Formats: sequence, structure tokens, C-alpha cells
Amino acid sequence: MNRTPATPKDADRQAGKLLSRLQRHGGVALWVALLLPLAGGGLLVWQAWTLADVLGRAIESGEAPALLLPSVGLILALLAIRAGLGALGEQAGIAAAERIKQHLRQALFQNLLARSPRDADKASSGLAAAAIVDQVEALDGYFARYLPAALQAALLPLIFGAIILPLDWVAGVLFLVTAPLIPIFMALVGWGAQIATDRQARALSHLSGRFADRLKGLLTLKLFGRAEAETAGIVAASEALRKRTLKVLRIAFLSSAVLEFFAALGVAGIALYVGLTFIDYLHLRASPLTLHVGMFLLLMAPEIYNPLRLLASHYHDRATAKAGLVEIERQLGAIPEAGSAPVDIAPRSGPAIGIVLDKLILRTPDRMRAVLDEADLTIAPGQHVAILGSSGSGKTSLLETIAGLRPPESGISLDGRPLAEWSAAELRGRVFMLTQKPRLIHASIADNIALARPDASRHDIERAAEGAAIGGFAAALPEGLDTLIGEDGIGLSGGQAQRVALARMFLRDAGLVLLDEPTAHLDPALEDEIIGKVLDYCAGRTLVIATHSHNLANRLDKAWRIAGHGLVEAPHHRRKRGVA
Amino acid sequence: MKALLAFLPLFRQRGRAFGLALLLSLVTLLAGVALLGTSGWFITATALTTLGLGFNLFVPSSLVRGFSFIRILARYGERLVGHNATLKLLSDLRGWLFALLFPKLPLPDRSLRHGDLVSRLTADVDALDTAFLVAVGPWMAALLVGGGMTALLGFFLPGAALAYGLAMLGAALLVPIGLVWLSRSAGRASVAAQADMRMAVLDGAIGHADLTALGALGTAARRFEAASAIAASLRRRLGAYTAGAAAMVQMLAALALISTLWMGLLAVDAGHVEGPVMAGLLLAVLGSFEVTGMIVRSVGKAGAAMAAAERLNALAALAPPVAEPAKPRDIPEDGAIAFEEVSFAYPGLPPVLSGFSLTIAPGERIAIAGPSGSGKSTLLRLLLRLAEPQDGAIGIGGIGLEQFRSADIHAHMALLSQDSPVFIDTIRNNLLIGRPDASDADLWAALAEAQLDAHIAALPKGLDSIVGEAGRTLSAGQARRLCLARALVSRAPVLLLDEPSDALDRATELAFFGVLAAAAAERTIIMVTHAALPEGVVDRVLTLRNGRLCT
Repeated sequence: MNRTPATPKDADRQAGKLLSRLQRHGGVALWVALLLPLAGGGLLVWQAWTLADVLGRAIESGEAPALLLPSVGLILALLAIRAGLGALGEQAGIAAAERIKQHLRQALFQNLLARSPRDADKASSGLAAAAIVDQVEALDGYFARYLPAALQAALLPLIFGAIILPLDWVAGVLFLVTAPLIPIFMALVGWGAQIATDRQARALSHLSGRFADRLKGLLTLKLFGRAEAETAGIVAASEALRKRTLKVLRIAFLSSAVLEFFAALGVAGIALYVGLTFIDYLHLRASPLTLHVGMFLLLMAPEIYNPLRLLASHYHDRATAKAGLVEIERQLGAIPEAGSAPVDIAPRSGPAIGIVLDKLILRTPDRMRAVLDEADLTIAPGQHVAILGSSGSGKTSLLETIAGLRPPESGISLDGRPLAEWSAAELRGRVFMLTQKPRLIHASIADNIALARPDASRHDIERAAEGAAIGGFAAALPEGLDTLIGEDGIGLSGGQAQRVALARMFLRDAGLVLLDEPTAHLDPALEDEIIGKVLDYCAGRTLVIATHSHNLANRLDKAWRIAGHGLVEAPHHRRKRGVA
Repeated sequence: MKALLAFLPLFRQRGRAFGLALLLSLVTLLAGVALLGTSGWFITATALTTLGLGFNLFVPSSLVRGFSFIRILARYGERLVGHNATLKLLSDLRGWLFALLFPKLPLPDRSLRHGDLVSRLTADVDALDTAFLVAVGPWMAALLVGGGMTALLGFFLPGAALAYGLAMLGAALLVPIGLVWLSRSAGRASVAAQADMRMAVLDGAIGHADLTALGALGTAARRFEAASAIAASLRRRLGAYTAGAAAMVQMLAALALISTLWMGLLAVDAGHVEGPVMAGLLLAVLGSFEVTGMIVRSVGKAGAAMAAAERLNALAALAPPVAEPAKPRDIPEDGAIAFEEVSFAYPGLPPVLSGFSLTIAPGERIAIAGPSGSGKSTLLRLLLRLAEPQDGAIGIGGIGLEQFRSADIHAHMALLSQDSPVFIDTIRNNLLIGRPDASDADLWAALAEAQLDAHIAALPKGLDSIVGEAGRTLSAGQARRLCLARALVSRAPVLLLDEPSDALDRATELAFFGVLAAAAAERTIIMVTHAALPEGVVDRVLTLRNGRLCT
């Protein structure tokens, strides 16, 4: 989880590269967003020139209003066109940003799904969700506002300055010198802000992760009387974040103060220069100054600095985006070029699959501890086997490794072929696994069952539900099998959620069925009923069940126990199949 | 809007800071308007003057410089003060929401999904805390600056005042109201779409192993894709509303400028107003549009803030599941726990308990067995007063539960439930939740009782090892035993155990029950289980069937 690049500087440069890579996905919309404001800037010069002309003619030459009417009409038209261009550009920027974010989110989510599900290095789900939903959102401002503003700030002051220079060299030089100075000052100030912003993003992500985790256990916290302490803890974390943020802002706002300084100075400087020239105090011009040109200079003075001011108000968008990217990489690893969309694997039919473990070495996910050391085991096709062992002995690891859910290990053969040679399509199509704590997706019970076979008919789903003895409790729910079940199966008990997941098995024609403690939450009567149904369905299929229940183990063909890093045959009194 | 008003007390708490921010923003804006206006007047006056060097330079030039510096300082101060107040409000809001949630637990509504709740805590609170800075502040500034400018025009250029005033009113009031009205439902839908997107990620991340095993990763990716497409299209729609409103405000500003210009030209022509004054007014009008530029950017967010306020209010309006007593009584330390003819049903579902009676003497250890879904867990919930029976009475030492404070009840009885979570934190902090002032020796003792001490001691960092999500560095059984240790750390005289040995194998289970009997020698134990208990763990085993006990 800690893939921090070598230095913050490297991280920053890398994030900058990533942003320009992502930019390609903005399409035409991004071009429109970049170019329309430039056109608007050109029209602005025309508008200011016309307005200054009207004022000059009216005040200096005393022309009648009627003669000025066409020019006034022109100004109105220019204002209207600029308003329209602004709205179109803004909308295009938003569309481009949405396209880019959607693209990145999909790539990240697909990449997350493409990894091994039991990768010890994986981010917690709350942090993954925060990265994909919130941190990607942090890119929004960069593409929608910062990029167009940056282009305007780079070009418009220079264009304006170039137009003004032939009219009045003093004003032109003033603009051409001060305008480029501003970004330099701002960069100096922004440098410090960037580092602080990075830290900021990390703190924000931790706070969000803390919310998610604590929220899950809110009831537990309440029962231990931690309501006040946890509330105080959240407020304290939030206040710490505020102090940190304020440090960033103090520097960030300094850069906008630098800008404000130059902008105000520009207006004041032009006003004084023009005024002093008019009263012959200054003689820097070759030709006399008209009110038209003087007014034009004054009207343009704030506009020269406006693109920079716009950029300053969106400056943090870039820092936010970069910090967001760094944070995404920290949580989810390198940002993928473009994910290939995963496809569903259709279940397949076929004969029972035998298992051979040959000198299998199995480690805990963090690779700290050996679970199995050179363990051997042969399970014949169609055999029903229990795996026993104290908790933490590695039953789950063994089952998940056989199912190919953990990073591949050598020493496992299915159907006489090493596990590594099985394609995902074959393995997933032929092997069914019930995990220990199955997660139900936020959908109806029926949809959750149908995940096992999307083309299953309603009748098939109802039969599957019957197989896992769901009918009883589902009938009591407001909408039966169509009841929406919440995350973590809220509203369903642990046992009920597991039975919904078990029901999926009955939609499959699997050659190998792996069940991880399928009856842990059940009372003996229900356990007997469900074991009966499972065994009936698994007749002719290979079945491996990890369990604590001797009642269950005794109804299978054989039982093995994990002990001392090996598998030993457990003493076992087989009862007749189908007898409760 | 009404929903937003409900948060007024929280806002008022930071009222002084927000007031200062507003004042500073007004100073900034007015200094800008004055700077342009004075400059316009100044250069026109100098252009027309025949006085040459005799022109009084001192006043206008110092005014121009003065306004520049006021503006720079006021802008910096405004931003710092405003953001600090906003961030303080954010802490207030977070604390408010957490403090509000605890008494409402357990939440009755199953649609309050976890992912949804997280987004409420973060996104909604964020949307709300910026309400002043980005919505209320600029809007009030626009009204004040617009009003002031209208009055100024009314004095010098009465013909332009009406048009300017109306245009500013439209820009500051009508357009924002229209925008808020338009974006309200889209804003609400957008927040919900974000929550759905988060849910799709959580489904994929937590259910990764299940989805992989089923070969259903394609379905998971499609569900996420659909959710993110909906979220994106809603954001585009909101963006279009905002961009449209911005264009309208710009048009209104254009009309205000043109009418000031035209009226000014007529007035100058008629000799009602001098040229320099007219130029100064026109530039001041131009300067005053700085304020309208800000409102639209901010009002777009006001819709989201209102939607957030409505959702938070909905959460606040939930009734607590049980009422707290006006005059709480102390729980008798060694009172017997008694259920008398208790009946209970979840809303809209068949009864779980009917006419259930049971008395548990202090120090007694009982187990309640019974089929799945027979109401065993519900019994414990009623005893913790997380829900109230529809009929009958539950009491300790002859006093009804409803006469005790919930906090006292929870301190009296520690629960280890089926789904007790392990928090992403150190083992030490996970245990300290049971009792914050427990010493390390207490913690190790509790770990020993839960038979987890050897495992924890073998970890490189011992008590300071971080346990991952759902206790990933621990097996399911070990995670359960960590939760048991946490319950044991608390000094509660009564232990409630809900399927405590679930996910433990038989050998560990037997040892666990043995240890439990020894560890809880002084405590009352009420255990709900379907495990076969060895002799001597409990004094009585009762069976719950059809809502009542049978022997």
C-alpha cells in the first residue's frame, strides 16, 4: 500500500506527465474548451477599442449621441457574442472533464478487478472507493477550468501587449514586462503550496478511510459507550486537518495577493501615466495622446491581468489534481494506460475434477508464515472430502488457492493438469467456490443468485433458492426474492447471506465444488437439511468442504486435518448419505 | 432553502468570522470599483484640462494608489478569514453529524447503506460547509454593491439608475433563483449517483473474491460503468445550467453597461453631466461586474448544498429508537434480569417473540439455543434496549429498562455479536475501545483469556500491529477472538455473547468455553448459541422455539 515515489519532486513530475497523458481522452470537447476563450479574448480588444472610441468622440469631440448609435450597437453585439462563447466554452470544458474522469475511473476499476483478489498488497475497499470516486473527482477542475485558463494566461496577455505596443510603447512595455513576471512570482509561491497540498490530500484520504471504517462499526462503538469519544476524535481529526489546510492556504493566497498587487499596480500605473501625459508632465510619447487611446489603455489594463487572475483562481485545481493522482497511485498502484474490460465467464458442463496436491507449499497472504509445507493429498473425481483444522490453520488459504483466487502456487494439479495451465475460462466455468464471508452485491436476492448464471430463468433461480433453504425467510420479506438487499447483506443475518451465496451453486454444473464453512452460522436442524441438499446436488461432482462441524465431516467420504503444516487423515465415522 | 435554514444555528456560531469575511469582501469590491471609477474620471479630466501643470494631481493620484493597496490587503484577509471560518464550520458539521448518529442507532431504514452514509458524511458536509463562502457571501456582496452603485447612478445619472438596478437585481436574484430551482432535482440526483457509484466500487472491492470465483467480473464492471455514466451525465446537465446562467448574467451586465453608456451620452450631450464624471461612472459600472461574475459560479453549488442539507436533515429527523428517561435510575449492580411476557415483532414481519418470560439471577450463566431466526439475537437486542418490546416488560433488579440511561445499560452489559467488527487500527486501540483506561497488563490478560496472546506476542509489533480491514492479518476465528477479548476488557458485570464460537473449530471451541467459564466467574453470562456446550460452562441451557422458551 506504500508505493510512494522516491521524492515529492519525482511524484510531481510523474503526475504532470500523467495529466498530459489523460488529456488525450478529452476529445474535441477539450479543444473547443481551449480555443473558444481565445476567440472571446480577441473580441474583447475590439469591444474595448469601440467603447474608448465612443467615449473619446462624445467627450473630447462632443459628437451627438445619434452619430454614436452604430458603435453602441456594435458594443452590445460584441458583449452578447462573448457571453455566448463563454457559456459554450465552459460547457465543453465540463464535458471534456467528465469524459476523462469516466475513462480513468473505468481503467482503475478494471485494473482493480484484474488483480488477484487475495493480494495482500491491495488497498482496503474503503480507500479504493475513495480513490476511484473522490480522488478522481479531484481531476475535474484541472481539465474543466485550469487548462483553458492556463492557455488564456499564457497567450492573451502577450497578444494584448503586442496590440498595445504600437499604440503606446510605454504601456506596451509595462504590460509585456509585468505580465510574464507574475507567473514567475506565482510559481515561486506555488512551489511551497504544492508540497503542503500533497500532504493535505493524504490527510483527507485518511480521514475519509477512518469515517468508512468507523461507520461500519458504529453500533459496536455505541455499545461500548464510545459515542462521545469517537465524536470528539472525528472533530479533533477534522480540526487537525483544518490547521494543516490553513497552512496551505496561507501560502496559496499569497500567490493571488502577488497577482492582485500587479493588477492594481497596472491600473493605477496606466491611469497616472495617461493623466500625467495629458497635462504635459510626462513626455515619453512622440505623438500626442488622444482620449480614445488613453481610455483604451485604461480599459485594457485590468483585462491584461484578468486571464492571470482567472488562472490564479483555478491554480489550486492543478495542485489538487496532481495530489489526487499521487494519492490514487499510492492506494491502487500505477495508473493503467487503458484497462481491458473484464468479461463474464459462462459456466460450463463436464465431468468431475480430481485434485492432486504434490509437495504444496502455502504461505499466509503477507508471506510471513508457512501454512502448509510440502503437503500431499489426492482427491479422486467425484469424492466428497472435509478439510478440518483449528482456526487460522489455513483451511481458507488452501481452498482459495485451489480455486485460483490466490497468487498461483506450484504443486496443485486439477484433472492431472497443473493449475497454472488452466485458463481462467476453464477454471471459473468448471469450479464453484463459496467463500467464508461472501459479499452480496447491492441488488435483489434473485439478482444475487443469478450472478452465477446470468441467463438463468426465474424458475431456475427459485429452485436454487429452495436448494439453499432461502424460501422460508425470503417469503417473510416484503418483496420476497425481489427484495433489495443492502451492503454486507444488512437485513440478512450472516447465515442468511451465506445461504444466498450458496444458492448460486445450484445454478452451476461444476466439476469441482469448494465450500468454506457453509454451515458455520446454522443450527443443527437447518445444517442437516442444507447438507442433505448440497450432497444430493454434488453427487458425481468433486466436493471439498472446509468446516469445523464434525456432524458435516462425518457425512462426507473422507476428512483431512491440517496439522503441523501438513495434511493428515482424520478419524471419521461415516454416516449414510441422506440420513439426517 | 428551508432545509438550509435548519443549519442556521451552526452557521451563527461562526457568524462573526463570516461577517468579517463579508465586510472584507465588500471592501475589496468597492476598492476595485473606486479604483476604476477614479482612474476613468482622472484621465478624462486631465485630457480635457487646460491647466497643464497647475492641475491638482495630489488628491486623485493618492486616491488611485490608496485604493490599490486597500484592495490587495482586503482580498488577502477576506480569503484567509473566510476559509478559516468555513473549515471550522466543517469540523462543527462533522461533529454534529456524528453526535447525531449515535443516539439514532441502530438506524431503522435499510436503504441507509454504508457507502451512502460515507458519502453523506463527507460529500454532504463538504457541500454544506462551503455554502457561505461560495453561495451566501458573494450573493450578499452582489446585492450590496449593486444597491450602492444604483444609488450612485441615481445621484449623477438618474436615467441609467433604473436600468442598472433592474439588471443587477435580475443578475443577483432572478437568475440565481432560476438556477437553484432548475438544478435542485439534478443536484439531488447527482449526489445519489455518486453514492451509487461508490457502492458499485465497494461491491467490486469487497466482493472481489466472490465475483472472481463466479466469473462475474464483467457484470461488476458493467454495473460500475452504468453508475459512472449516470453520474457523468448528471454533472454535465448541472454544468449546462450553470454555464447558461452565467451567460444570462453576462447579458444582463451588458445591458446595464449599454444603458449606462447611452444615458451617459445623452446626459453629456444635454450638458447635465460632465464628461469626466460620465467616464468615471461608466468605468465604475464595468468594475462592479466583478461581483456578478462570482454569483453564478457560486449559486451552482447552492443547489448541491440544499440537497445535502435536506439529506442531513432527513437523518436528523429520524426518531431515536428508544426514549431516554427523564429521571434515570442507577442500575442495581446485583439485580436479577427478568423478561416478563415479552412480545416483539419487526415492523411488517411476523412476531419473533410472544409471551417470553425468563429470569436470570446475578452471576448466573445461561445459554439460549434454538433454530436460526428463532429470535435469539433479538432477545439480546431487547436486553440492550436497542429496540423496545411491543408488549411485556424487561427489567434489572425489579426496575424497568426504560428507567435507565441507555449508556448505563450498555456499560452494564458487554456484547460480542455475530458481526462485531475489527477496526483498521492497532490491536491495542481495538482492545481499548472496550475500556479506554485499561493497562497493557489488562489487555494481555484479556488476550490470554481469548487464547490470542500467543499469536499476538509472535507478531513483530505485538500490540501495536495494525489489523487490516475485517481483521485481514487475522483469520476469521482470530478476529472473532479479538472481539471477545475486547468484550472481556470492559468491566461490564454482564456478558452477552451472540454465537461466540462461530468460526472456531471444535477443539478451540471447547477450550474457549472452558476459559470463558473461568474468566467470567464473577460475571453473568447470557449466551446465544447453537454449539453443543460442554458440562460446567453454563448453569442452564434453554431452548427458544416459536417465540417462547420450552424445556
